[in-house]
Amino acid sequence: MGGPDAENVRDLVPTLLRQGHRKILIDLEDVSWVNSTGLGVLIASHQAAIREGAQLKMMRASRRIDSIFGVTRLNTVFQLFDDEEAALRAFDERPGER
Amino acid sequence: MSGEAADHIPAHGEPGRVIDLSIPSRMEILSVVDGLVQAIAHQLDLDEETTIEIATSVIEAGTNAIQHGHYQDEAKRVRFRFILGETELEVWVQDQGPGFDLQSVLNTDPTRPEDLMKARGRGIFIMRAMMDGVEFDIRPGVCTLVHLTKHLRRGNGGASAP
Repeated sequence: MGGPDAENVRDLVPTLLRQGHRKILIDLEDVSWVNSTGLGVLIASHQAAIREGAQLKMMRASRRIDSIFGVTRLNTVFQLFDDEEAALRAFDERPGER
Repeated sequence: MSGEAADHIPAHGEPGRVIDLSIPSRMEILSVVDGLVQAIAHQLDLDEETTIEIATSVIEAGTNAIQHGHYQDEAKRVRFRFILGETELEVWVQDQGPGFDLQSVLNTDPTRPEDLMKARGRGIFIMRAMMDGVEFDIRPGVCTLVHLTKHLRRGNGGASAP
C-alpha cells in the first residue's frame, strides 16, 4: 500500500465521514506491504476521523505491517485488532452512530 | 527517449551473485520489487524477520527514488542491484533525482511525540532502523545512490513475509 491503493484509502475515508459514518474499520488482511506514503495516508485518515468525532480502527495486520507500525511507533496511535469481532466490540456503543 | 540513466552503482560483485532490476517510477511497480526480494530471501533461506526488514527497507528506498527523486515521472527509471553475499546482502538503489539535504533528514526522529502524526519523513528512519548499514551517495545533477546492507540470518526454511 503506497500507490493507487493508498490514494483510494485517502479518498474513501473522507467520503465515508461526509456520508455520516462514524465507525470505520480498515481490514488490512490483503495488504502485503505498506510504505511511508501509505503510513502517511493512514495517519491522515486517523486524523480526519478524530476531527469529525469518528472512530477509525484497523484489523488483521500481517507481521510485516505490525513491524513497520512498531518501528515508527504508530502502533501507539492506531487502534489495531487481531480480528473483526474484537474490533467491533471495541467501538463505543453510542446511539445514533452508524 | 529512454529514461534509463547510466549505471553509477560502484559495486558489481561476482557475476553469478548479482541481480539487477530497473523499473519505471510508478509506486505500484514496487510490488514487483517486493516479489523479487521475497524470491531472494527464499533463495537465501532467510528467516522471517530478516526478510521483513530487507523487503520493507528496499520498498522505502524505492519509494524515495520514485517520489522524491523522480516526482513519479514514469519515464525515469529506478535501478536496483542486489549482491548476494555469503553472510551479507547488499542492495543498491539509484535514481536520477537532485538529491536532498541528508543531514537535516538524519537529525529528525519521526517517533518523537510531537512528530508522530506528521504524514511524511519516515522513509530513511525506517531503513536505518531495519538495516545494518544505510549509506547515501548524493551527486547533484547526476544521481542519488542508496546502499543498504544486511547481515543474513537464516532459519525457518526461507519463510516469506506475507
